[in-house]
Amino acid sequence: MAMQQAISSTSVRKAPARRHDRGRLMQEAAMLAPAVILLTLFLILPFLLSFWTAMTNQPLVPRPTPVRFVWFNNFIRIFQDDLFWTALWNVSRFTFWIIPAQCGLAFATALLLHQKLPFRNLLRGMFFLPAITSMVVVCVIWGTLFQYPTGPFNQILGFLSGGAIQPIDWLGDPQWAMFSLVLLSAWQAYGFQMIVYLAGLQGIPDELYDAAKIDGANVFRRFWHVTMPGLRPTHVFGLVITTIQAFKLYTQVAILTQGGPKSSTETVVHYMVRAGFEEQKMGYASAVSVILFVIVLVIALIQRQLLRRFDV
Amino acid sequence: MGKRLLWSLVLSSALSAIGAQAAEKTAIQVMHQGDPGFVAAYGKVAERFEAANPDVDVQFIYAPHDAYNEKFSAAVMAKQLPDVMELDAPFLANYVWSGYLQPIKPLIDKDLLDDMTESNIAQGTYPIDKDLYAIGLTDSSVVLYGNKKYLEAIGARIPKSVDDAWTREEFEGYLEKLSKLDGVKWPIDTFRGYGIKTEWITYAYGPILQSAGCDLIDRKAWKSEGTLDSDTCVDALAMMQKWVKNGWVVPQSAGTNQFFAQGNPAALALGGHWVYAEAAATMKDDIVVLPLPKFGAKGASPDGTWIWAITKTSAHPDISGKFISFLLKDKEFRTYVASQSGYPGLKSFAAESPLYAAGGPMAIAFEQASKTAVARPPHPAYPTITSAFMQAVDEVFNGGDPKEALTSAAKKIDQDIEDNDGYPPFGEEQ
Repeated sequence: MAMQQAISSTSVRKAPARRHDRGRLMQEAAMLAPAVILLTLFLILPFLLSFWTAMTNQPLVPRPTPVRFVWFNNFIRIFQDDLFWTALWNVSRFTFWIIPAQCGLAFATALLLHQKLPFRNLLRGMFFLPAITSMVVVCVIWGTLFQYPTGPFNQILGFLSGGAIQPIDWLGDPQWAMFSLVLLSAWQAYGFQMIVYLAGLQGIPDELYDAAKIDGANVFRRFWHVTMPGLRPTHVFGLVITTIQAFKLYTQVAILTQGGPKSSTETVVHYMVRAGFEEQKMGYASAVSVILFVIVLVIALIQRQLLRRFDV
Repeated sequence: MGKRLLWSLVLSSALSAIGAQAAEKTAIQVMHQGDPGFVAAYGKVAERFEAANPDVDVQFIYAPHDAYNEKFSAAVMAKQLPDVMELDAPFLANYVWSGYLQPIKPLIDKDLLDDMTESNIAQGTYPIDKDLYAIGLTDSSVVLYGNKKYLEAIGARIPKSVDDAWTREEFEGYLEKLSKLDGVKWPIDTFRGYGIKTEWITYAYGPILQSAGCDLIDRKAWKSEGTLDSDTCVDALAMMQKWVKNGWVVPQSAGTNQFFAQGNPAALALGGHWVYAEAAATMKDDIVVLPLPKFGAKGASPDGTWIWAITKTSAHPDISGKFISFLLKDKEFRTYVASQSGYPGLKSFAAESPLYAAGGPMAIAFEQASKTAVARPPHPAYPTITSAFMQAVDEVFNGGDPKEALTSAAKKIDQDIEDNDGYPPFGEEQ
């Protein structure tokens, strides 16, 4: 970060000094142009358009009736729709569960794979494998595993408990559906956080461990007083990334539960896609996307403050 | 360098234009859905059509059943509509109102038009201008399949025609008895396994509401509040909720074949006509076909299926019409559809389908078409109507309050109609 600031400040300082050098200025502009054009075209413009669309009754496909400017009607309707609040609540619930599940799993495997194990790199690759497997494929496979009442998960649970645990309707029971999605999602995505944690672990200087050892700290104390503080920025980074990912929950829902049962897995993005493509209300869907944007922005800002505090 | 790139672009596009000319074939695009068997059947029809018309190239665009409307919307936005398209009948009003389809009568062989059954004409007709926009070989219906063994064990009355269908009291009484019968895990399969976001919900469960005496929307005022959230509808949906609560209905996660699965865990099945072929193959003589029960004063059954239309933007409407006519007349195709217990939409095809003829095992299903069939609301707001209803059914089947769920569905439907200024000329004329 400091490096970047230094670079940008020098170029800013140099530019006015060479103002007479038009050729150089043109060169800089030309080099910037591709990025600026692409960013404007594919990021800034669509973004502004969605703000604009959110205030109209724009349908998905052209219709004989005129498109009108409806101001904040879409927003008012969204806030009056119980289903939207359910969706928001569900996503928050999902986030609340997935952070400990996914980051915990990632942290545990990272600690394990940081040891000097035989075939360490092979193991790392294996554990990382789900993260690069397509979510769609993962969903289809897990859909089979979750099957009720005779799916593998239920068989295993029944076998381990000697038949005491009744088969669970993983995806069909409103009490269980979201939890099942948490399990699946944590398993699919923890590989990424694991790599981040591994990098974090490697970033802690060995001297600190040596010093701790000399001071007589046992394994547990070394972990608590050297590893944990050293990983603080990594923890915060994991938190930020996982939260933002969690708020975008969609694929799993679209493939496995379609928001049901009883709206227990409806998410904000799924709600948005449904409004836009099933019910063909583009304006309304855009308004949902704007709200989602604001929510994620607020979370990101809060977490940025956290990052600052930990001096990352 | 820029120039060279430009030139190569010009050259390659010119070359491809020449290539297309050399082939000298007129291409028509056909967008469709269907299971693998039907997809293969369409392909074979196209081969025969191309053999008969060497200057035509039929190109298929497959769109999966569950995402068909989304895919169609994408085609509309990309301005790449196919020439011929298959569409689900209840969406016809929306497509015609939006201006995607053209009247099909002048483009289809006259003998085929004369051959259409009444319900086939109804499913392809736009209610505003009463013109025909689509045609199909088939129509559809839902019946109650029963396992003879189980029904005899509880001494159930077996109706012989649509007119003496079970009443609500009889039906619920039988469900209760069946639930206590040995070997029956679930008294009835309503094919919840199709999922919670499928047209099946509105198609099959809507008639239960209609039979009870209400509807998804008032078909004159085109307003849902006061109709879908009326006490009659609430009561009908509460009744279905009770079946689910009592454990009488096959749960969604148990799959879609519990009626004819090994051991026959389900005694009854509220299933589409297409279930017959599979069920009959495994259950042989144990299967009995019953009319849908009367939940109120009158019976109601669904109709409408996937039918063929020609888009307004088609550059070759005459060839497209020729292809549809060819498809509907194709002998081998008809034999295949009949083998899949296809529900006749043409009189000549009904004659070729012993299944549906008087005395045939599915005769009752065909009888329903003329006596109790109620089309889904032919209104441009149908995409929202069906989506809102699906949402409500999922809510209620999982323990939600029927009144609340239907009120919110009705509100959603009316809002959509309001947003589109009433979809004129719909509100005006009727």
